[in-house]
Amino acid sequence: MDSLVAVIECQQPEADLYRFMGRMIITQQMEEIVRPLGPESLLLRGARLKNTKEIFGVAIYTGMETKMALNYKSKSQKRSAVEKSMNTFLIIYLIILISEAIISTILKYTWQAEEKWDEPWYNQKTEHQRNSSKILRFISDFLAFLVLYNFIIPISLYVTVEMQKFLGSFFIGWDLDLYHEESDQKAQVNTSDLNEELGQLEYLFTDKSGTLTENEMQFWECSVNGMKYQEINGRLVLEGPTPDSAEESLTYLRSLSHLNNSAHLTASSYRTSPESETELITEHDLFFKAVSLCHTVQISDAQTDGIGDGPWQSSLAPAQLEYYASSPDEKALVEAAARVGIVFIGNSEETMEVKVLGKLERYKLLHILEFDSDRRRMSVIVQAPSGEKILFAKGAESSILPKCIGGEIGKTRIHVDEFALKGLRTLCVAYRQFTSEEYEEIDRRLFEARTALQHREEKLADVFQFIEKDLVLLGATAVEDRLQDKVRETIEALRMAGIKVWVLTGDKHETAVSVSLSCGHFHRTMNILELINQKSDNECAEQLRQLSRRMTEDHVIQHGLVVDGTSLSLALREHEKLFMDICRNCSAVLCCRMAPLQKAKVIRLIKISPEKPITLAVGDGANDVSMIQEAHVGVGIMGKEGRQAARNSDYAIARFKFLSKLLFVHGHFYYIRIATLVQYFFYKNVCFITPQFLYQFYCLFSQQTLYDSVYLTLYNICFTSLPVLTYSLLEQHIDPYILQSKPTLYRDISKNHLLSIKTFLYWTVLGFSHAFIFFFGSYFLMGKDISLLGNGQMFGNWTFGTLVFTVMVITVTVKMALETHFWTWINHLVTWGSIIFYFIFSLFYGGILWPFLGSQNMYFIFIQLLSSGSTWFAIILMVVTCLFLDVVKKVFDRHLHPTSTEKAQMYSNTVALSDEFIALQPLSRARNQLSKLSLLNQIQVSSAWTPCAASQERRCAHLLEECWNEF
Amino acid sequence: MTWSVSARGAHQPDNTAFTQQRLPAWQPLLSAGITLPLFFCAGLAFIGLGLGLFYSSNGIKELEYDYTGDLGTSNCSVCATEGQGRAPPPNCSCAWYFSLAELFPGPVYLYYELSNFYQNNRRYGVSRDDAQLSGLVSALRHPANECAPYQFSASGLPIAPCGAIANSLFNDSFSLWHQRPQGGPYVEVPLDRTAIAWWTDYHVKFRNPPLVNGSLALAFLGTAPPPNWHRPVYELSTDPNNTGFINQDFVVWMRTAALPTFRKLYARIRQGNYSAGLPRGTYRVNITYNYPVRSFGGHKLIIFSNISWMGGKNPFLGIAYLVVGSLCILLGFVMLVVYIRYQDQDDDDNDDQ
Repeated sequence: MDSLVAVIECQQPEADLYRFMGRMIITQQMEEIVRPLGPESLLLRGARLKNTKEIFGVAIYTGMETKMALNYKSKSQKRSAVEKSMNTFLIIYLIILISEAIISTILKYTWQAEEKWDEPWYNQKTEHQRNSSKILRFISDFLAFLVLYNFIIPISLYVTVEMQKFLGSFFIGWDLDLYHEESDQKAQVNTSDLNEELGQLEYLFTDKSGTLTENEMQFWECSVNGMKYQEINGRLVLEGPTPDSAEESLTYLRSLSHLNNSAHLTASSYRTSPESETELITEHDLFFKAVSLCHTVQISDAQTDGIGDGPWQSSLAPAQLEYYASSPDEKALVEAAARVGIVFIGNSEETMEVKVLGKLERYKLLHILEFDSDRRRMSVIVQAPSGEKILFAKGAESSILPKCIGGEIGKTRIHVDEFALKGLRTLCVAYRQFTSEEYEEIDRRLFEARTALQHREEKLADVFQFIEKDLVLLGATAVEDRLQDKVRETIEALRMAGIKVWVLTGDKHETAVSVSLSCGHFHRTMNILELINQKSDNECAEQLRQLSRRMTEDHVIQHGLVVDGTSLSLALREHEKLFMDICRNCSAVLCCRMAPLQKAKVIRLIKISPEKPITLAVGDGANDVSMIQEAHVGVGIMGKEGRQAARNSDYAIARFKFLSKLLFVHGHFYYIRIATLVQYFFYKNVCFITPQFLYQFYCLFSQQTLYDSVYLTLYNICFTSLPVLTYSLLEQHIDPYILQSKPTLYRDISKNHLLSIKTFLYWTVLGFSHAFIFFFGSYFLMGKDISLLGNGQMFGNWTFGTLVFTVMVITVTVKMALETHFWTWINHLVTWGSIIFYFIFSLFYGGILWPFLGSQNMYFIFIQLLSSGSTWFAIILMVVTCLFLDVVKKVFDRHLHPTSTEKAQMYSNTVALSDEFIALQPLSRARNQLSKLSLLNQIQVSSAWTPCAASQERRCAHLLEECWNEF
Repeated sequence: MTWSVSARGAHQPDNTAFTQQRLPAWQPLLSAGITLPLFFCAGLAFIGLGLGLFYSSNGIKELEYDYTGDLGTSNCSVCATEGQGRAPPPNCSCAWYFSLAELFPGPVYLYYELSNFYQNNRRYGVSRDDAQLSGLVSALRHPANECAPYQFSASGLPIAPCGAIANSLFNDSFSLWHQRPQGGPYVEVPLDRTAIAWWTDYHVKFRNPPLVNGSLALAFLGTAPPPNWHRPVYELSTDPNNTGFINQDFVVWMRTAALPTFRKLYARIRQGNYSAGLPRGTYRVNITYNYPVRSFGGHKLIIFSNISWMGGKNPFLGIAYLVVGSLCILLGFVMLVVYIRYQDQDDDDNDDQ
């Protein structure tokens, strides 16, 4: 190592995790050896070493140039709908502020036109004030009014919102319901800015494999040389009607096992077999050899310690080999080959060892042509023990079949389609034999391409194209990808919540449709429209028009649409509007054969459509990253295809079913919380500053403040900040269980309902009316400035302001209390604590002559205020009057036009009440009633949520009787 | 490099009530069932309180007299016209006669009221130096800049007390005379001029500067009185406890009013024969008319009032309580009707289901 002299040349830092190009020039005894460096030789920051004691490495990128750091930076800023409406409200308030300032300034000058108001004998100006320019005075007055009223703009709102989002997002990570025990993963929040957006979704785009499915592949079927086999209990069985007799159906297996005397294989039971049909055997042999050689699966050495298992490692059988693979399909295939008898044992140095029915064969691994999503295939070039050089290729049927020149292409294609109809994932396997001349050329070109520093990818692609041709088809495999738990229920719930679900997948049309049907995305009752295999613009347009006609003509409630990638790009290029119209009317859309960027493009199109719906994208793989980043909210599934999606997402969860809790419970709560928070902040600042404005009418617009400067500062910081923050963290206006079990409640808050201009106006008007009540209540209380004290002494202007302020702090805090539906001890503490704090602070602040303050305006003001009986009565009166109107509105709303959320609240409340009722009973009676009521509750639940509960009711009654008999 | 082995379930979130958002909570619901009784109770309570407050306020007597002298309505108009356009006007006296048919129950408070006088004007309100008024010698010599243009006198001496508020100190004075037997001589009713300012203002906030050689006059040496004053601040009263910055009239005036029409306490009547109130008979109030208000359209009033625990005569609270209380009950009834009607409808809905 010490003597190693080498130079590494590499590209400039870039964010793409899976792209790296460089070369290493090693100088050894005056000779330069050039070695290519690719992404496989690059360890990303945070990578961990496994199965290897030590390695030597060179740091290539450091600090902010590492790929990880570049990726963090490149994340685009997402802003939620709430934030946008917040900014709109802010502009409205800015207008209010400026117009108030302008009105005040103008009125000041009309008022001051007369000298007896401007400069009475008791209030003379200084020479300087008299001589200052009129325009300057006008501007300075305007600015002074701006300063006086600027508290109407809730600056602290932004701080509080940030705090709420940051702290609130912890609840998602903490949620046990979002914790997946098997993989020990809890939900992750990467962007807390979007919490409330989870409650606003209208479109949900989901990837299929790994997201809807487990991404846990199981080998199911294969087609070899035009014959279809099925794996049943670990045996391959010929399937379907074949021209040959039933006996012959097992030929292959027999022929395979005739060499095998060990009990190692499951197929070993078929030991006796005629030694014939050797040709067939070679084909089949080759197929499985191809399967077990053409991959990048690794063998685990550490099979004995067995603890630190990666999530997708499994043991074939005790004391058997364990495979690791970056792609679960490959693992399933290699395992299947092993079950059949061709066991991949491992690769040491440059050889791959395969045990064919117990007999060890070594293949020299010459080249790996890695998988990429453009080619959609991978291949390996190996040197067989016999010395011949063979290429094995494996890939999607669309990428292999066109390249094939031999083999049972027609039959295999039929079989592949059949597999796809069952929702299986298919791969085709082919091979090619090279002559040594051919191979030498390939070798040379490959090396050139791999060491090229410029345009390496293009060059590689060219070489791959050159190598992977003239293939002979061996067969096809079919692997099942099991649906995840509760996908059907989740999708159904999403639909009930008014969210349109789009499945975007790279799979074949047939596979995609069958999976869609099985996961409940498509219903049997749905009218399924298809837009596939469109080759030209005109054709596509015609088809689109036909579809839109069908939508209006067919009397079916729900439509589903199937589009494939090519047709989609056609439709989007020319007929975007027509296509979007159709899509918006479909309750389920399935896009198959989608390239990653196409996924993102679809989302962008929906996003910018006239209604500007809020979108969410769920995906698990690197190919979903672009769509996750494009959507308003990106959710990553922490699955088997690496963590790239999870890293680039805003939220990462372990399972698709967790979406229902994430959206219906967390999303709903966050939305309610933040919407009320925003409205309340605007409200409380209107309340705060409007009395100042009104006071100007009584003090000749002289910019006299109504409140002391300390109160002005502390109002938003101390006196009214905590209750709303606590509310925005803890509020649960309805039981989370009901939210989750009744997804339709989600519709109540859709379209940013709580931040609509109507609601905003209500809060603003409420704020203004409360301000009027505070101010004029205090004004009329003073009346002709009669004494309010029992000793006949008089109050002054600061007492007046403090009275208004006191009423305001109490009212605003109690208003928050009215909004709160969920009173934990923390809420009680901060709500009542805030009011108490205000009183204690004021007593303290007014009780001392503060040496560092210039004016002692507030000295003993508060204590004098509280020593007046009338003031107490006035405070109670004003607070009650303010809230009275609001309560009346709330009650009328609840009874006249209840939202479904409110109905659900009522319902849950009655249940809770009846439980309390039980608690009050003596124990002996309570036990009886408890059982009765718990049964009754069940009935209520069922009758409330499902239309047909009659039979259940009867059953319950029966149950009830039985219970009594037992007693 | 070591391969750290994490225990199974290492990332499992804590199962506590807080992290799972399951804190025990009271979940009230603003439904008609709860608010209805609340409304009726609150309504009744408010009406009860309102009646109490209304009668309590009604029991308070007030007697007021406008002595601005606008239209020759009273003998003060002589003074008013005389003082027209001149500030300060010359000493001028006038009187207000009134008779009481029955006892004006005590304790009786004497107020003066000014209207259209903007003590809450910002320029006026800040024109004072609290440090100076607290007896700080340095502030006595160097009044705060806010006091300008009443910071330094024309001769450059610091003004004590500085500022517009002090300068515009109300300087009318009143004395009350009672003609006990009809046609008999007028006897002066003693006016108690103490305890008209807040206790804390008089005892803590306002302090005279430390005496120099036992003399307050020397303490104020080197200062000028406000331009409108005829005498220096240390001669406001002969009583050493009521002169200088702690003169009660001055302290009362320095507590600026909230609104342009305001009252200030002048004296209490609670001594001698008048502790129970003003007995019936004829009275005369002698007014020294000094304070000019007509230049800004103001009015001067003199008011006799008695006081209950809730202060002066204030019908607003009682009426407001009555109004809010009846609104509560009215809306309660409306709500009851709505509640009953929609209750039936809800039941029907449920039956339909």
